Amino acid sequence: MGLDRRGFVKFVVGGVAGTLFTPVIWQGLDDASIWSQNWGWIPRVPKGEVKTKSALSKLCPSGCAVKVKVIEGKPFAAVGNAANPMSKGGVCPICAGGAQLLYSPARVKSPMKKVGEGKFEAIKWEDAEALLVEKLTPLKGQEGKIAAISGDETGSANEVLSALLSGLGNAGGFAVMPGEMYTATRGVKLMGGNGQPGFDIEGADLVLMIGADALDSWGTSVANLKAFAASHPTGGAATAQYIYAGPTLNNTASVCDKWLAVPPTATATFSLALAHALIEAGAVSSAADFAEYKALAAKAAAGFEAATGLKAEALKELAAKIKAAKAPLVVAGASFGQGAGALDFVAAASLNVLLGRVGQKGGMTVLGAAPKAIASAADRENAKDAASLLAQVATGKAAPAALLIYEANPAYALPQAAEMAKAMGNIAFKVSFSTYMDETAALADLILPAPHPYERYDDAMNPYGVAKATYLAGKPVLKQPVLDVKDPVDVLLAAAGKLGLSLGFETYADVIKAKAKALGADFDALAAGGIWNGEPKGGALSLGAGALAKAAPAAADEKAVALAPVTRLAYGSATLATPPANLLNVRDTELKGKDLFVQLNAATAKKLGVAEGNKVKLSAGGAEVKALVHVNEGVAANTAAILLGFGRSAWDEFTKGKGDNVYKILTVSDEAGTGLKVWAGSTVTVAKV
Amino acid sequence: MKAKEFNIKWGMVIDLDKCTGCGACMTACQVENNIAPMVDASNKLRTLSWMLVYELSNKKAAPDAEIAYLPRPCMQCGNPACVPVCPVVATDKNEEGGIVSQIYPRCIGCRYCMAACPYHARYFNWEDPVFPKGMEKALSPNTSARPRGVVEKCNFCHTRLMKAKDKARQEGGNPEALADGAYMPACVEVCPTGAITFGDLKNPEHKVHELAKNENAFRLLEKLGLAPQVYYMSKREWVRKLGDNYAATGKAGAAKKHS
Amino acid sequence: MKTQFSVAKFDQKLQERWGEVMEEKKQCKGCGGALPFVIGFVAAVIAGWVLFPDLIYSKKTQPIRFSHKVHQEQGMECSSCHTFRDDGSYAGLPTNEKCMECHADVVGSDPDEAKYVEQYAKTGKEVPWLVYQYQPDNVIFSHKAHESFECKSCHPDMSKNDTPPVYYQNRLSGYSKQTMKMWQCERCHAENGVSNACHVCHK
Repeated sequence: MGLDRRGFVKFVVGGVAGTLFTPVIWQGLDDASIWSQNWGWIPRVPKGEVKTKSALSKLCPSGCAVKVKVIEGKPFAAVGNAANPMSKGGVCPICAGGAQLLYSPARVKSPMKKVGEGKFEAIKWEDAEALLVEKLTPLKGQEGKIAAISGDETGSANEVLSALLSGLGNAGGFAVMPGEMYTATRGVKLMGGNGQPGFDIEGADLVLMIGADALDSWGTSVANLKAFAASHPTGGAATAQYIYAGPTLNNTASVCDKWLAVPPTATATFSLALAHALIEAGAVSSAADFAEYKALAAKAAAGFEAATGLKAEALKELAAKIKAAKAPLVVAGASFGQGAGALDFVAAASLNVLLGRVGQKGGMTVLGAAPKAIASAADRENAKDAASLLAQVATGKAAPAALLIYEANPAYALPQAAEMAKAMGNIAFKVSFSTYMDETAALADLILPAPHPYERYDDAMNPYGVAKATYLAGKPVLKQPVLDVKDPVDVLLAAAGKLGLSLGFETYADVIKAKAKALGADFDALAAGGIWNGEPKGGALSLGAGALAKAAPAAADEKAVALAPVTRLAYGSATLATPPANLLNVRDTELKGKDLFVQLNAATAKKLGVAEGNKVKLSAGGAEVKALVHVNEGVAANTAAILLGFGRSAWDEFTKGKGDNVYKILTVSDEAGTGLKVWAGSTVTVAKV
Repeated sequence: MKAKEFNIKWGMVIDLDKCTGCGACMTACQVENNIAPMVDASNKLRTLSWMLVYELSNKKAAPDAEIAYLPRPCMQCGNPACVPVCPVVATDKNEEGGIVSQIYPRCIGCRYCMAACPYHARYFNWEDPVFPKGMEKALSPNTSARPRGVVEKCNFCHTRLMKAKDKARQEGGNPEALADGAYMPACVEVCPTGAITFGDLKNPEHKVHELAKNENAFRLLEKLGLAPQVYYMSKREWVRKLGDNYAATGKAGAAKKHS
Repeated sequence: MKTQFSVAKFDQKLQERWGEVMEEKKQCKGCGGALPFVIGFVAAVIAGWVLFPDLIYSKKTQPIRFSHKVHQEQGMECSSCHTFRDDGSYAGLPTNEKCMECHADVVGSDPDEAKYVEQYAKTGKEVPWLVYQYQPDNVIFSHKAHESFECKSCHPDMSKNDTPPVYYQNRLSGYSKQTMKMWQCERCHAENGVSNACHVCHK
């Protein structure tokens, strides 16, 4: 029987019908639907046991003691370490995303050597280390030929760096990035004290923050937040008042009982006028310079309304509140964590002296010098500031042939950034020890990738703001770094050895363990999130009237407005561009697409003739920043507030080219009487484009 | 449709007077729930923010200007608006605890639920979850990655509830009567000021039980009758007013609807 | 009540109709004109039931021929290796850490044991065991919550097993043939009055 067409059709129809009675179609559909739920490009999540490991997460300026959650040996989340008495289980918005930063696209993956303008070539560690030694060898013993900039305020790495420089005959070459600690320590000196100031926020019942954004980006912010939280029980009555006096209604001010809008140019005036109001209300001090101080305060009070745009009534009310408080505390600082002169600090800190709050519970303290692990290391307060160093390089007053940059980004995060970056061009050999491909690394001749905090030993001595001497330390969470990195301190110690210099240690871990031992602390306990505390110290401080008398009043410029750079911890820091996960936190009234917003209050906008959404340029010191106007009543009079930390030219696609770098338009001036470089009171002109 | 009642109601009381708007909750939420970072995160129509911190303003000129920050998770409404509109039953509220459930592979991406939710708590995946190279190694085990085309929202870190129950079982406790603090979402865990209190609103041993009845407690858009399981509290009247606490009468002290 | 798409119903219908077909087939004997149809029908049915499963599943063997039987004969319980952790999470298949408690070095004469020691224990690499009850990322399953059931109610009884069974992996979905489907979970939950809310099983 042959198969005719009809028979074939019947066969096929039979086949199709038969298929319906098999699982082919039904299971096929089911499987296909499952297949469509698991596309190959959708990442799979890990399975397995979740373990937690303690770490010191120095991603934020003060460092958070965290518990890192690890699965299959890989960190995926970080929470606060409840065993740590300082942060009490809290964590900041940067450190909360620390695990993701291990894989930041901006990380430097291996040592890199510059082979042309903006071009780098990956090299082996042994070659990189040999190159470092080769370049340093001829400079050894030549004063002024080697310099170093450190962006780490608290680590013992600074001791290694400064001891290395001393050993190579360049004791004066060690510089630090400007921060609160730097100016405040100088301020304390002007008040006749010695050491880093501390503020016992936890013990105070009234906390007046002048400039200091203490509940977000200033000092040990998580510890400060915990102190605030403890005094504000949910559903109960608050046991402490918080008042913020500063240029913007920022995160700190948002939860304060009162915000006093003080332009950044008038910080010292505000403090002294408040002193006057307190003296009027009966405050007296036994300090020797009280009479002189009183006169200065009266002078400041006279110019208060004009300088701040606030009513004198506001001061009176504030003075009354302070008088009524049992343990008032004035926290002094710059609203964006740097650039304030020592005098702004002295003016605010002197209020604590006036109120007799130095060395008291809930008052201001002065921390003594911390013991060192390396005896030949210079004292921190004798270090230069990086802005001064690079200014000298620019003018030829200093001519180092080699610059070691440790965890710092001077090409981006110094005032008049463009000039600073240019000055760096005068230095023949620049080495950047950096975890990320930042603007400074992009200018360096050799980039030596540093580990992420989960991959390294590190420590923190007296993070700025703590009321008593405090030491934290951490060890790596990961057995192996995820990239080809080495600890900068290990590299430096090895290089020192090859240069014929023994610092007594071979690894950073040894340095830290020695430091812990010198303090009488147990390293393992510290690494588990413990803490070492010294006794709080007071010490007699003067009112600093001698220094304050020299302060030159800010020259009024009708056309210019005060510039208030705004820092928000979540958006990164001087050494860290906004982490990818934190970009979501940035509001669309702060950054939209590639445009930053400048925040002006309605009166200022009107005066400048600009309106919401206008494109403007802010100019100062020959540089300019473009931005869109956002009218915001949370800004002081005659002040332009704008976010710091954007306008990156290196890093990754998440931050590169977004907004503009406000550091460019911060203009540096010399502070009368102290010789410090200051830029917190910078002014800008705003013009429509 | 009559709302289901549950013996356990997981809820939050968020003290807006303690929220500084630092954003740690938003970061922790993304980490816990494997939300891929976006290159242009300023396009708020495309971002995924299960937890979103809003900025509220009293709209007064300086020096009287005040702001407050309002973290907004999913409200886990008692009468969720999103559930009945789902044509494929990819979301429901049908579990002890009252968390509004969602299954991503079933979602067809019609976005009716997004239109229905008055709190804007639901988000649509316009893009596949693409992490920067290597960052997919730092994924959390607690939430599956969702493909493009599905809607998602906060679920009070439901996996943590499952884990807390397992822990209770292991330790011989009752998984249906967890101790206060045994289960808390990622945002609650990281909040540096402890502004978010979390627990079972019906359990007198949990702090939220009393806090939700505080005279300063309110719920967002109370008048809509969706009965959220998230409460807010603030001593500042303008904040409470913005939350629509007494929108019905416009007067402070009007009777509050509590479940 | 909600209506839900259920694989269970499909399966049930399928079986009912299969019965009907068999009936028809018997009646159809001798219908010559319909012969090509019947041949095509039967061929498709055979292909669908015999060849298709063979085609859709790839067969895999475990990397190591692990004998549950041998281990059981040593007096070990299921829970000696398949343990709960302190936090109540289920460890599932043991890792090297557990295996190496006994097998850090070769203790027996089985060549697969030597293979394990050499390739995994010594190198620190985990054995890529094939999980018969594999569940995808979007599923969360608590063994602790199901502790009152016997392992055997869901898992094949492995205690007498000397050679691990062949692992059938669906070529299209990538799942194991033994992966429990949603309808099975839902049915048991419904029967036992347990919530079938999405998040009870999904994450």
